[in-house]
Parts: sequence; C-alpha cells; structure tokens
Amino acid sequence: MTASLTLGPVLFNWPVDRWRDFYARIADEAPVDTVIVGEIVCFKRAPFFAEAMGDVIERLSAAGKTVWLASPILVGSERERAAMRDLVESDAGLVEANDMGALALLAGRPHAVGPTINVYNEATLGWMAGRGAVAVSLPAELPAATVAVLAKAGRELGVETEVQVWGRAPLAISARCYHARAHGLHKDGCQFVCGNDPDGMPVTTMDGQPFLTVNGTQTMSHGCLCLAAELPALVEMGVNRFRLSPQAMDMVRVAEAFRAVLDGRRDGAEVATELGGLIDAPLVNGFYHDTAGALRVA
Amino acid sequence: MRDPDVAQTVSVSNPLAGERARRFETGLSRAGLGLVPRLGRRASDALLARLLRLLADRHPRAFEALRGMPDARVLIEPVDAPVALLMRVGPELSLHALPRGADGVGEAGAADAVVRGPYARLLDLLEGRIDGDALFFRRELSISGDTALILALRNTLDGEEEMDLVADVASIAGPLARVLPVLRRNAGPVLDRIEAARRLLPPPLRRGIERVEARIIGTLPGSGA
Amino acid sequence: MDNFELICPAGTPAALRAAVDAGADAVYLGFRDETNARNFPGLNFTRQDVADAVDYAHARRVEVYVAINTYPQAGNLGPWQKAVDDAARLRVDAVIMADPGLLAYAAKRHPDLRLHLSVQASAANVEAIRLYRDTFGVRRVVLPRVLTVPEIAKLNAEIDIETEVFVFGGLCPMAEGRCSLSSYATGLSPNKQGVCSPANHVRYEQRGGALASTLGGFTINVFGEGEQAGYPTLCKGRFVAGAGAGGAPAYLFEEPTSLNAMDLLPELKAAGVRALKIEGRQRGKAYIAAVVRAYREALESFAAGRPVPHIDLQAMVEGGTQTTGAYTRAWR
Repeated sequence: MTASLTLGPVLFNWPVDRWRDFYARIADEAPVDTVIVGEIVCFKRAPFFAEAMGDVIERLSAAGKTVWLASPILVGSERERAAMRDLVESDAGLVEANDMGALALLAGRPHAVGPTINVYNEATLGWMAGRGAVAVSLPAELPAATVAVLAKAGRELGVETEVQVWGRAPLAISARCYHARAHGLHKDGCQFVCGNDPDGMPVTTMDGQPFLTVNGTQTMSHGCLCLAAELPALVEMGVNRFRLSPQAMDMVRVAEAFRAVLDGRRDGAEVATELGGLIDAPLVNGFYHDTAGALRVA
Repeated sequence: MRDPDVAQTVSVSNPLAGERARRFETGLSRAGLGLVPRLGRRASDALLARLLRLLADRHPRAFEALRGMPDARVLIEPVDAPVALLMRVGPELSLHALPRGADGVGEAGAADAVVRGPYARLLDLLEGRIDGDALFFRRELSISGDTALILALRNTLDGEEEMDLVADVASIAGPLARVLPVLRRNAGPVLDRIEAARRLLPPPLRRGIERVEARIIGTLPGSGA
Repeated sequence: MDNFELICPAGTPAALRAAVDAGADAVYLGFRDETNARNFPGLNFTRQDVADAVDYAHARRVEVYVAINTYPQAGNLGPWQKAVDDAARLRVDAVIMADPGLLAYAAKRHPDLRLHLSVQASAANVEAIRLYRDTFGVRRVVLPRVLTVPEIAKLNAEIDIETEVFVFGGLCPMAEGRCSLSSYATGLSPNKQGVCSPANHVRYEQRGGALASTLGGFTINVFGEGEQAGYPTLCKGRFVAGAGAGGAPAYLFEEPTSLNAMDLLPELKAAGVRALKIEGRQRGKAYIAAVVRAYREALESFAAGRPVPHIDLQAMVEGGTQTTGAYTRAWR
C-alpha cells in the first residue's frame, strides 16, 4: 500500500461560491489522492452546499480524485437521521462514517471510518474490518505508540489507516452552538454567524492566551496540528493515508509540501517551518508525542 | 450563613443542638491543638504518632490508603490557630505540629501542597464531612501546590464512615491526660460560656452539650452516641 | 406501569452504603484504575471492595453496576478484559461499557453478563443503538446529554431496549466520549485515562484578591474577590470569544451549573425512559446521601400520583445554579 494524501471535508461555514472555487482549485492543482466532501458539523448549513455538491463531485472526479462522502458527526433529530440514510444510500462515492449510526447502516459493504468515531485499539479496529471498513482515520488524540499498533493491525486486517497531519484538530462536538451563544443567539435563530469566521472563531483565555477555536457546534484546537516532521516515522509504522484538514489558506501549497515530503524530495521539519508561516496559529504535535495536544515537541 | 455542603453528622438527635455542639467541639479541639507544641517537639510528635496508631486501628482502610499514596507532604494550616499540621502521606505516614508563621516556614517549605483555611473547615475536611467538589468552590479554603494530592487525601478520608477525629483524640488516655489539665485551664472561659449558655437552653440542646463535654473529658470513650 | 429505577453513583465503599441506605435501586461504581471514566486519586473500588459492595447491596435488594467505560489502550487490552472478567466473577448485575472491541469480548466470554451502553459511547440515534443491541446484546443504553425530551420519546418509540438518562449532577455540554478538550490542555483524556481536567494539572494562583485557576498552564477562570470559585473543568471556564481583545470574558461553553431534571419526571416517564441516573462518583458521601434521598422521595410521590415535591438541592449544585440542560430545546 503506497502512501496517499487525503483532503478532509471543509469543516467551516464558507460561502458556497468560495467552497465551490476551493474545490475547483483542488481538482486542478492539489496533489491529493482522495477528497472527502460533505457538511459534517451542522445540519443547518447543509442546504447551502447541497446544490453545489453534484458539480464539485463531478469536477473532482474528472480530475482523477477519488471522492468520498462524509456523514455528519452528530445525528440526533429525525431530519438528521433522514439525511444520514439518504447519504448512505447514495451511490456518489464511498461513505466515511462519522457517527455509529452511519456505521450501522453501512454494514456489509465497503466504507470508511472517520476520525470522530472512537477507534482506540486493535479489537475495535478488527470488529470494524469484519463489517466492511476499508479505511479508518484515527482520532487526533492518539499517541504514536497507539498509532503504531493500529497501523500494524490494519495491515494484517487489510484496512488502511489514516492520520491527520495538517489543520486544526477537531476536539469536541455538541448539540449546543457556541458560535450562536457567543453572539447572544440561540441555535434555532443563529443567523449563521459562524459564516463570519472562515477559519473559526478564536477563543482566548482571560489572560489573553489563544487557546481554542469555535466552529459552530464544534470545538477545535487553536494550534494547527502539523506532523510533517513525523511523516517518515508514520510511514515506517505502516500508516498509509495522511489527512490534510482544510483551513482558510493556500491548501494547494500545503498539499504540495506534504507530497514532497512523502516523495522524499523535501525535509519534513523544513516544510513545517515553511507552512507555519502561512497560518496565524502555532504548529502543534503534542497528541502524537503523548503529551498535551497544545504543545509542540521538537 | 450555614455552610450548605457540610453534612450535619454530629450524632445528636436535635439538629440545632448538633450544630451548636459541633461548634463548641471545634473550638475546644482548636484550643487543644494550640497546646500541642507546648509539650515540646518530642512529646508532641509522640502524641501525634499515637493518634496515627489509633487511626490505624479505628480506620484501617483510610490508614492503608494514606500509606499507599506516593510519599508527599501536605501542610494543613488553620489561619485562626497558632499551629499548623504537616502530614506526610505514603509509606512514612506521619504527622507533625508546627507553630504557624515565621518559625514554621522552613519545614512548611518542604510541603508539596498547602491547604489553608479556618480551623473548623479544615476539621470538616479531615473528617471527610465536606463534599469533594465543594472543597474547591468555597473561597474560605485556599489550596496551593499539588491539587491532586489534596484531592486524593480528601477522597481517601471521605471513603471512611463517620470519622470523628475529636473523639479519637479525646480517647488517647495517656498523653492527653497530661494535656487535658492545660486544655481545661486555658479553655476555661469557653467552658464557662458553655455553662452560661446551658442554663438558657431547652433540654434537648442541653443534652447535646453535655455529650460534647463528656467526650472532651473522656467519660464517654469513642463516643458512639 | 413500571416505576423508574434510580441509579446512583459511588466513588468509595462509604458512598455506596450511603447510596444504598438513601434509596438507590442500583449503584454504579468503577475499579481503582484507568478502566473507568472517574479515575481520580483516592477514589474507586478494589476487587475486594466490589465483593463487599455486592454483598451489602444484594442483601438490601439493590443492584451493583460496574463502569468499564474508557477505551482500552491499543496493545494493552489486558486490564480492561480482566476488569470485565472480574466484574462477572464478582456477580455484579451489569457492566457499563463503551468500546465495541470490549463489548465484543464481554458478549463472547460472558454471555450471561448484562451489558449496558455507557454514555461515553454517545449513541444518540436509533441506528447506533440498534447496532449495539443487535451486535452485542446490549440491554440498556445510557443516553448522551444531547437529546431533548421529545427526541428521547421518538427514539424510545423505535428501539426495544431500555433507556437510562441523567437527571442530576455535573453536565457535559459536549457529546460524551467524543471530547478531547482535556487531552488538548493536559495530555490526559476521559477516553484514554478516564480523567477530565485532571487535578494533577490544576493550579490555583492568588492574584491579589482574585483567584486564578489554571489547567495545563491555561487560565480557565479568574474569580474576583468574594466570588464563588469553581474547579477548572475546561468547558466550565470563562473565555474571551472572537478576534481582538475587546470581548468580555464569558462562560462560552457552559456556566458552572448542575443538571436537575426533577421537574421533568412526567415528561421523562411519558417518553418511555426506564432509569434515572445521578452523576457524581467523584462527589462525597454527603452529596450522595442528600441527592439520592431527595430523588427517592420525589419518585415515591410521583409513583403514588402525588405532585412531585420541590426538594431543595441548591446546596449540592455547582455554582449554585440548576438547569434542565439539553432536555429542553432552549439550551442549544
């Protein structure tokens, strides 16, 4: 299994035109192998992207990208369930399940497991493989030792393992919308204020230290997860898929840089330094090094 | 204002009497603690060592749990008493009394965590009467250093039934026999006030106070009442 | 119509006896290690403690559940599997679990052991719940605190296993078992180590009259003079939202408040809920005795068709405020 790059779904609420243009440029220029599309954070945002979805999938497919469809992270209401069933039944691409409900519906046919489903050990990975999982994107908080065990188990089971190597880490999901709450609004009347923050809303401590990022119902890290320097070790472990999570920045350049490291053309640490200059956040890799996720370990 | 998170567990039938009794008992034991260093270092350590042995007998589970903790020192510092206690948990479990303030700084400096507050609150804490999280909510208690150590200590003590340190202390006959006359002499004004109060109280309250006094002078050993 | 079951927490043997004596139908607890989601210093049960707890509870017709609800560590499944084996050997009435791999182990090795799905599995919809029932024979699901009462009613209409919901105590504003906030600040997480905002990463700092609480070096709150302080649970902290320094600090995720759904008993009954759960294995026996007693009294009134009394639990709640949380839509 060769190493490949995955572009995760856009997690932020971008205007649909920006969203469409973003994928057009990815199709034309980004050296990524798989592109996962879908609004997975908030059900209320989904209609905006629905009309452009067909075009985007077609464009990406025409450019030779493998397109997967992501299911929502949190599925509770009847309407959310109906949307989840529709997605699972569609034949537009392989589905990446981000909730156990979607995983249930996908049993017996090839599917992917997203990073918001808890896969912490080889027993669970084996159980998923037996039900048709072909790729599992591991939760961001897993340390290297765990990733190594799962990558090895994945190879034995014929399941590809994926690790996020770029972008703010998803940390939590809620039924409550913190974007709306911060603006004194209710989720039902949110006025889509999350659309004002294409890279999420910064959350700082009372001492002015940047800490987290709010993206509607989702809470993310402030630090931008970057495992460019760790790529060779990850490849060595047998991890063969590497996820770039879109930020409001030049993601084509990010993809090119990671591709160059995977191809052995560039040094990972040097790439980290270069990319760190392109985003207004510190680079972090603490989860991988089995410490606080907010830290960067040299 | 009544402290909402402290269980009123003093074993007397009338709740009001229980509250009052607890207050008197707390005041008296605080006075007693103040006298411990006057015994001299060796005698006070011997007294406290004896208290620990008593705990081992009466509360074996808590005692073993305290000994099973990693070696660490907690300074328990009542802001309204002249004496602080340095508790060493772990295999070398021990208890030392230190005068509060300048003289104690050297030894207190070795503490991994300090919990500071009114004597009454600290007694509640040591007896496991305060709910765990409440410990942190109330500003009367301040905590510095290793928060996990204090939490572990509190959880361990809370895991015991009805720990009653005052009764335990009062039942150490030997050394206390030497301390008690001093205690009585110094706590005289307090006891006088109890006596004055007693005359004004209705019978149930009076019984509660009699019980406290009985415990303090050791005529009701262990005070299972 | 069956009465609600009252499921109560215990972090120590003394707390277990307090819960049993105060009227619990079942007490849930954990072993003294990383296999449960309240792996706090000085808390929890040795194997012998559990044996004694089962004796004490069963003699009084109270059940004992063991929570083995963290996610087993890759390459080190032993402690979790042993916890399941020991729970079965000790004759506990149910085990509460979240990890599919561990559920599969329990279902295979101990077919007679009753399995409950932990809130840490965050099974929030019919499809997910059916998956655990059909695959592992799970008999009861503890619902995540993301659903409204009408959503719970719809869900119960479509599933045929029991549901258990939280009615009192600390409230996670995030979907449980899907949160790495603690891990981000400290490296220790509910899913891996069974801790959230762990005390060994907490520091209190006096700043003049103010008190700052920090977690992993991040300031979680600063309390003014005279203001009641809180434990620095990350999601109950005060932060400044938005770009620029202009914003006022606010409880962005959740106020330091406690869930109390006592007023919702009729709605929860109509929604088909089987069991009511009190949070707080880390709380002291004073809290457990008071809350369990209050709920027992409320349930007896409710079962007898009398109005549910207004029982003052204000003293037991964090921050001195109570909420019905996600059960009502306005919370969102």
